Amino acid sequence: MRRLHFDLTGLPPTPASAENGESAAHDVASYDAQSYETLVDQLLASPHFGETFARHWMDVARYAESITLRGFVFPEAWRYRDYLVEAFNTDRPFDQMIREQIAGDLIESDDLHQKQMQHIATTFLTMANSNLEQQDKTQLEMDLIDEQLDTIGRAFLGQTIGCARCHDHKFDPIPTRDYYALAGIFRSTTALSHSNLSRWIEKPLPLSESMEHHYDSLSKTLASVKDELALLKKSSSIQLTKQNRIIPLSELNGIVVDSAAAKLVGDWTHSTSVGRLIGDGYIHDANSGKGMKTATFEPKKLPPGKYKVRLAYSAGTNRASNAVVRVFSANEQAVLRINQRKVPPEDGLWVSLGEFEFEPNGQAFVIVSNEDSNGHIIVDAIQFLPLADKSPNPNTQIALTSTRVNRSAEDEQKQKQAAEDAEIIAALEVEQKSLEQQLAARPRYMTVIENATPTDTRVHIRGDAHNLGDLVPRGFLTALPHGNASSMDANASGRLELARWLASAENPLTARVYANRIWCALMGQGIVHSMNSFGTKGVTPTHPDLLDWLALELIQNNWSTKHLVRTIVMSDAYRRRLTFDDIEQNQQQQQIDPKNEFYWRGHARRLSAESLRDAMLKVSGELDLAQGGSLIRPGTNADYNYNIDSQRRSLYQPVFRNSLPDLFEAFDFADSSVSVGQRTRSTVATQALVLMNHPWIIARANAAAVHFRQQQSSDSGDTETPHALVDSIYLHCFYRLPSDDERATCLAFLEQPSAPGKTDRLVVLIHSLFASLDFRYLP
Amino acid sequence: MINSLLPRRQMLQQTACGFGSMAASALLARTNALAQTNRAIAADDRPQSVPKAKRVIFLFMQGGVSQVDSFDYKPLLARRDGQSYEFDDARQLARSGKGRAFRLMQSPWKFNQYGESGRWVSDLFPETARHADDMCLLHGMHTEGVAHGPATLFLHCGSTNFIRPSLGSWLLYGLGSESENLPGFISIAPSIGNGGARNYGSAFLPPRYQGTKVGGANSSTLTIDSLTRNDITHPLQQEQFELLRQLNHQQITRRPLPDAELDAAMKSHDLAWRMQQFAPETLDLSSETAETIEMYGINAAETKRYGTRCLMARRMCEAGVRFIQVNYGDDSANPAWDQHSNLPKHETHARAVDKPIAALLTDLKQRGLLEDTIVWWGSEFGRTPYAQDNGTGRDHNPRGFTVWLAGGGFRSGHAHGETDEFGFSSISGRVHMHDLHATLLHQLGLDHKELTFEHAGRNFRLTDVHGKVVNEIIA
Repeated sequence: MRRLHFDLTGLPPTPASAENGESAAHDVASYDAQSYETLVDQLLASPHFGETFARHWMDVARYAESITLRGFVFPEAWRYRDYLVEAFNTDRPFDQMIREQIAGDLIESDDLHQKQMQHIATTFLTMANSNLEQQDKTQLEMDLIDEQLDTIGRAFLGQTIGCARCHDHKFDPIPTRDYYALAGIFRSTTALSHSNLSRWIEKPLPLSESMEHHYDSLSKTLASVKDELALLKKSSSIQLTKQNRIIPLSELNGIVVDSAAAKLVGDWTHSTSVGRLIGDGYIHDANSGKGMKTATFEPKKLPPGKYKVRLAYSAGTNRASNAVVRVFSANEQAVLRINQRKVPPEDGLWVSLGEFEFEPNGQAFVIVSNEDSNGHIIVDAIQFLPLADKSPNPNTQIALTSTRVNRSAEDEQKQKQAAEDAEIIAALEVEQKSLEQQLAARPRYMTVIENATPTDTRVHIRGDAHNLGDLVPRGFLTALPHGNASSMDANASGRLELARWLASAENPLTARVYANRIWCALMGQGIVHSMNSFGTKGVTPTHPDLLDWLALELIQNNWSTKHLVRTIVMSDAYRRRLTFDDIEQNQQQQQIDPKNEFYWRGHARRLSAESLRDAMLKVSGELDLAQGGSLIRPGTNADYNYNIDSQRRSLYQPVFRNSLPDLFEAFDFADSSVSVGQRTRSTVATQALVLMNHPWIIARANAAAVHFRQQQSSDSGDTETPHALVDSIYLHCFYRLPSDDERATCLAFLEQPSAPGKTDRLVVLIHSLFASLDFRYLP
Repeated sequence: MINSLLPRRQMLQQTACGFGSMAASALLARTNALAQTNRAIAADDRPQSVPKAKRVIFLFMQGGVSQVDSFDYKPLLARRDGQSYEFDDARQLARSGKGRAFRLMQSPWKFNQYGESGRWVSDLFPETARHADDMCLLHGMHTEGVAHGPATLFLHCGSTNFIRPSLGSWLLYGLGSESENLPGFISIAPSIGNGGARNYGSAFLPPRYQGTKVGGANSSTLTIDSLTRNDITHPLQQEQFELLRQLNHQQITRRPLPDAELDAAMKSHDLAWRMQQFAPETLDLSSETAETIEMYGINAAETKRYGTRCLMARRMCEAGVRFIQVNYGDDSANPAWDQHSNLPKHETHARAVDKPIAALLTDLKQRGLLEDTIVWWGSEFGRTPYAQDNGTGRDHNPRGFTVWLAGGGFRSGHAHGETDEFGFSSISGRVHMHDLHATLLHQLGLDHKELTFEHAGRNFRLTDVHGKVVNEIIA
């Protein structure tokens, strides 16, 4: 029972009978046939079935959401995971899944959802752990193609094609020419865009007509805004070069306190990135530490009188719309809220804070604060413009304190024009940014691009990308002659043909390799033990006829994964279990077949790292069963030191190549850099250390203790009885009641007088059960 | 595959799956019967390689120490300072297929001769230089990879590809561990960048050969993850350990057949418990004398970090750890010694490591540990003798650089190989990183051609199809 639940859903069963105190410890064997079958069908229909089998395939597909070097994050990889979950839940035929993963972008479809799905499936080709820093781009491309061929070979054919990169395969019939025939297909497909650091390809996801239209018009508007901007910047009398962007304090009227002269509380960041700048550039609060930062602008000496006070900032969509500014003058303290997303109304530079009277030795300063603000707070400068001045344009008036030289009328005209241009430019820049943000919201997916003109590849002698031999026409493995490579469209890469060739029922390997994977997922070992290697270097099958039968069964039932799973879990071999009734017989069998190659008993199964984590979360009552979506926190650029804090199922935690959770690391999670057919199964002391000392596990035990106490008090309404408590914990942890011995041990432990301090012995008990053998080894 | 390896490989693979008495522990696997004699690997008809060393301390200078500013003295560089010469710059070559002219830049540091051997060492390393007569300098090093990531992976794993085991893992696989209470392969304060955990990973070797990290490049505490907990008292932990044992026993007797894997899992708890008791002691420096603390520079701010790591390395060395990497680096994309624009900053880094390294050599020597311990100092590559972009820094240079070795049966007070007159490209006594790996394995009694592991249909080894032992540097 417990095994069936874990195998099909990756989760422990919920003891339904826990409440009425009945024993739920049915064995698979003793479970009556009718209800067993019902349960199987129930579990196959569970949305968690797809999650479990998606994860099996993700091992094979070396699924990851980042790259080792520099920790670059693949923000769109999760769509592929969700594609798999949906595909397995809806029992999408596996041959179709193969075609979609190799060439989904090239297959026609009228249905939008189907179109999206098959496009996303091609992410399969792009998750290589590449060395994007490689400066020799030809080498990099050939390395990537090698990775793609290697993954495809292992995943679908159980063949190590990679050996043939440098020499004819020593053990299997794969000549070097075949390798480069396949390489030609991927040489005619683009998977990276190059610069110093190359990058994988992301494309906008196909959308409904109206949405496509919406985004099209957005990008058209953006293009025209960009054109307009370029034109304006070119023609404008102020070229917005850095030098010209800067307005020296000496050119401004009145008394100007630059951001460099402000008294700062908290961390403010200096910047010169955006817009025109006064003096030394501007400062911003980095949109953090809200309520902790202020900047005070106080003129050293302000002659008494009436002034217009202005604030300079550069507008932007990430700014605060509610920046708090306080002006302290003779009579008052004015509080204003400034919308910094709007371009400043005066000269594109300034916003007026009002007119104020300042007295001799009276207060005269402005405080900008980031309290309660909803974006970056920007301050470039504060200006005190004396109102006694008669001139209507503050920019052309002669300042009281400024020592600036008189300018010619022409200069002034220029300056005025420049100010107007700047205003328009600033407005356009804001619009551009907003358009770009809207466009960025369009869903994207990782994929490859079909080249306009396909090319054949030359043999690379000894695998050297710069030592070329014969030209090889694009094609498939000659050892598997079904399907005809010569039927390949001369004007296409051949990827579509490859997809069909791989997924063909006539391909002698594909169905067997896949059936073997399903068998292994359920039985604990494959019929061919080496899942990714069906070649002569792999292990010969223990039951070749069985494998043939399973492969045929798969093909004849429309490549249905669920059908195959059902067939296997309904078999006697799957349900076989050891009992004490025939110890003698067991021992005899053990001598005959110690490795259990003939499945005379059930294989002892161990929980995957994911199931171990999910099971603890489930027992502690914390598991969040929500499905789908990306859990990568927005703004994550590199995966280093990424802290996973979600209570969602393990499947949905980002698979980061540089930051695997400790628990995954310790319990043999699949290496996400290579296609993994079967995970390592190690038994090492680090695992024991993690189980006993890792804070995450201790935290689950704590939560579980709270959870069980609450449940008990709400169930019975009585004060807790330790006896029932222990029974309930065993039911949840192991789906069985404790033996008398076990119960006695637990009760004795709980009843020990606690050491000084407030140690909760129940937590320690639950923690010990989490660490115990039965929790992770299924009988 | 060599036949004599068969039983050994079988055993290793079985134990990796947890069926042997040693199975339970990657960390505690002691030298076992087959690995006890280091010669086990060598085929019978070959001259037997007698191990000269038992362990390695690798002082990793992350980012690329400039050879012409440290151990590779080039007087001509000073005389031609400011002149332009054509160089086959590695980046330039990769991009355009040809070199171009660069401006030579002399070293800002003076060089002096040290010891009876009269080795030239710059003022960056005056303390280390006092051990010139203990050192074996390899001036003719060259390697793969122009960028940090690939070159760092190549240094550790012998490949710029990502999936190869690290040198330390190969060593454990070949020799087993001698430590009761500590992992056999430790990386102290490793960086998370440029390959990160891959640089001490076991890749396709069984997980028991995985390196264990102690602290991190940017963390101030040096501990092993999940080694201990302090939220409950020690007596209660003891009680919990016994409870777990009892529960496990009860569970195991419910199963009709004995199961080796379950036995191994049970044992792993015993071993972990022991490790939990004893390992913290090795990591704890409080029993060291004031003189020792002083010698390693742990009292001074600038040497405290690396001094602490070096002293810890000596303690691990005594505890029998097979491969100890002492990292000097950080988590940034331009790690530590990566002075592209400001060469004088080399001095800060040299100050931080010079005294601790000298102390480590002194300490190992006075305790008689240097004889069978290889101390290996080096970076993922060197730097160019010319200025980068006419600035005051130097770019990466995989074509010629210096590493040094001490102890472990290498010739002391010796220099092997040389670079050209400016120190750019190695021209004689050339030692490729593969050759260095082969030579290190050789000193530990392992033949790099025989130390193989079957994976993905073929036998893999650290040196791929390359590498030759550099006999000239062996004493």
